[in-house]
Amino acid sequence: MKKLLALLLTGALAVGSLTGCGGKEEKGELNLFTWDGMFPQEILDGFEEETGYIINYSNFDYDETMLAKLEETEGGEYDLVIADDYIIEVVIAEGLAQKLDTSKIATYDYLNPVFMSQFYDPANEYTVPHGAGIPLIVYDPTLTDVEITGYESLWNPALEDNIAITANYRVINGITLLTMGESMNTEDLDKIAAAGEKLKELAPNIRVINDSNTQDFILSGEAAVGFLYTSQVVAALMTNPELELVVPKEGLGFGIMASFIPSQAPNPDAAYAFLEYINRPENAAKCFEYLGYYCTNKAAEQYISEDMKRLLVLPEDAAAGEIIQNISVEAEDLHSKNWNEFMNACD
Amino acid sequence: MKKKKTFSGIYVAVLTIITYVPIILTVIYSFNESKSSVSWTGFSLKWYEELFRDREIKEALINSLILAGSSCFLAVVLGTLGALGIFKMLEKPEQYKAFAKINNVMGYISMLPIMIPEIILGMVFLAVFSFMDLPFGMLTLIIAHTTFCIPYVFSMVKARLVGMDKALAEAALDMGATPFQVFWDITLPLIMPAVLSGTMLAFAMSFDDVVISIFVTGAKVNTLPVKIYTKLKTGVTPEINALATMMLLVTLILLMISSILSKKWKKK
Amino acid sequence: MKKTKGCIWLVMPMYIFTLIFVAFPFLYMFLLSFMSRAKVWGVDFTFTLANYEKILDPLYLGTFVDSFKLAFLSTGIIVLLGYPYGYFMARMSEKWKKRMMLLIMIPFWTSALIRLYGWIIVFRSNGILDKVLTGIGLTDSPLKLLYTYPAVVVGMVYGLFPFMVLAVYSSAEKMDYRLVEAARDLGASSVKAFFTVTLRLTLPGLLSGVILTFVPSMGLFFIADILGGNKILLVGNVIQEQMTKGRNIPFAAAMSVILMILTSLMMALYRRVSGTTELEGIM
Repeated sequence: MKKLLALLLTGALAVGSLTGCGGKEEKGELNLFTWDGMFPQEILDGFEEETGYIINYSNFDYDETMLAKLEETEGGEYDLVIADDYIIEVVIAEGLAQKLDTSKIATYDYLNPVFMSQFYDPANEYTVPHGAGIPLIVYDPTLTDVEITGYESLWNPALEDNIAITANYRVINGITLLTMGESMNTEDLDKIAAAGEKLKELAPNIRVINDSNTQDFILSGEAAVGFLYTSQVVAALMTNPELELVVPKEGLGFGIMASFIPSQAPNPDAAYAFLEYINRPENAAKCFEYLGYYCTNKAAEQYISEDMKRLLVLPEDAAAGEIIQNISVEAEDLHSKNWNEFMNACD
Repeated sequence: MKKKKTFSGIYVAVLTIITYVPIILTVIYSFNESKSSVSWTGFSLKWYEELFRDREIKEALINSLILAGSSCFLAVVLGTLGALGIFKMLEKPEQYKAFAKINNVMGYISMLPIMIPEIILGMVFLAVFSFMDLPFGMLTLIIAHTTFCIPYVFSMVKARLVGMDKALAEAALDMGATPFQVFWDITLPLIMPAVLSGTMLAFAMSFDDVVISIFVTGAKVNTLPVKIYTKLKTGVTPEINALATMMLLVTLILLMISSILSKKWKKK
Repeated sequence: MKKTKGCIWLVMPMYIFTLIFVAFPFLYMFLLSFMSRAKVWGVDFTFTLANYEKILDPLYLGTFVDSFKLAFLSTGIIVLLGYPYGYFMARMSEKWKKRMMLLIMIPFWTSALIRLYGWIIVFRSNGILDKVLTGIGLTDSPLKLLYTYPAVVVGMVYGLFPFMVLAVYSSAEKMDYRLVEAARDLGASSVKAFFTVTLRLTLPGLLSGVILTFVPSMGLFFIADILGGNKILLVGNVIQEQMTKGRNIPFAAAMSVILMILTSLMMALYRRVSGTTELEGIM
């Protein structure tokens, strides 16, 4: 036992001293900061091979962790960050992102304008979109007889202990507001409180609340109905085409992921090179097939394989969806309290 | 007596087997062809191929070994010395009256890192390290991990010392041994099992920590659990099952090597 | 007098490290709990008691009660299962002791998260346990075992069991078994010998095991996430959520301060009940 430990320790130290002196200095590094699994290995390798940059891919789990990190490092350390729309609004407001020089991105014109000029960056000064999502309902018709047409159907008592939902409370509270004919971004505290009461009535139907791989619960038969993020919808339908997809009649939530360069990025040129590379149509198509979000690169659409096209190319009318935005502190607090009460009511 | 032995043997065996059920399943499912981890679709080694191609996981593994090794080393030095010191003071309470309070308070504070939800520790460290202007990376990781490794070593050694038979050491002193000799020949061998089990626990905790590491790591340093956690969050890939299987295999190989070596040693 | 200095130098490195990297950060957290939340993210450094008032809301008080209940239940089961395990282990031959030690430590080298996912394979609908129970005709498939309270308890017990075993083992191993034999020779029944000798001698290990299991179980939010399907709201979950998605750091800090006070009170209670001074160094 002693020896095992000694072995491990000396091993660790030896490796430490090796990596300590062996500095790899080629063309420089790209410090990429985003969720895990955003890019296929093929794209990362291809970029390194072509440009000579070495990619440092580091991850965060929540947008908020990313923001905290960026604040603590005052916009340094990272060259390129990909995160969600609402948090980017905060990043820009706090001066943690730098203005883009789009002339350095030769492939910039391939981007789909539908996903640009959004609330977080109205003049497209800071961001490049990288994927969009619309949470939708997916269900297994062999496991339930309930006819599902929209969010309201989820409240049907026949679905007791049979629904899997994602864990983003602004989204879940948001669809509750939509069933009541309200905006997802309402700042009216009474309306939010009323939505909280209504959400509690959903509790008996909830089988599981989970942010990652929520499609697995539908695929395994753990739950009959799922309210899923786009990547999960894609994964579910690619695995089991027999599942039914519901585009809720009450209206849609909409979210965009985008990349930006932090204000004190050590190597912005690497970031530009990467943005150029991933937006080449063939490369972008590979990224989105891998990622499973709506393709934000117009030129890439023709390269997406036929069977995935219906899932990855946004239908013309869907862009009318409402994006969740930052709201007042009081409203935000109430949303989080509603959510906690809902979780408590679930078991 | 015999009956008792059988009963205790069966009891321990059954619980141990249950402990291993999820691990064995992880190993089995690492050979599953399907990605979704819901159903078994056939035997495949493709996740292992993917694992060996994954450079990030390799780097993360090296980082985790450096991290756990260094924080354990620091924790063993600080924790063992601390436990010895406090024990010595407890032995002679009248001499150290002034310190009794301090020792109590400090003992409590040093235990805090394992007393509170990890996420607070992570957030607090993030704020404090930037306040102290420390660069985020291996250094901040080692400091943070050392804080929660110390309590494991310290409390194990302390418990061992308290339960130790003092007569032996006293006898040795009476017979003219120097305090250092007593420490080296009597105290150290006696506390060694506690030091080791504390170290192994600390190593395991550090090697497995996700929450704190996420907060205190920098752009260039990923640890293995952070990599696993983010991978599980975005998709349970059998690649991770394959990784767990490999970790298990490496542990077992190291164990075998050490037991062979120790046998050879004994023969000489 | 010379010796006095020696002892202090022994503890000094640990104390200095602890002061800078533990005491100071916690002081900082304590201060944070009295600050206001900033508009979007971060902390606004103006004094307020609002965070503590918010905890008095029945919702958040309830999570404290629920967390304590779950921690008590898990720790209770762990004591019942782990104490005999650690004790039996200590009574084994040297060879087996080493082997068992390895068997306990090996799982630690794989990831705790992965091991929890292993339990999902066991518990899921049409999963292994479901098939076994249906196979012997006990139930009709498919069962809904996952994402329930018992699943969370299993996860807690599983995750923390080794701590209890190691702690009990460490004190049972150095116990002088001749004392038990002496008590038996003097006519004590085996039950009486257990309570008067064995239990008393292994109490430090048992208590430190209780501490090592009870305390973390208050904060293991990811077990409730993974095996409870996020449906069980514990203090750890609230803190985690407020830290990240809720973006209310001062409130999370206040929750943690209360949690720390409660756990400290528990420790004090243990010390009072057990009446051992030995534990002072541990906690």
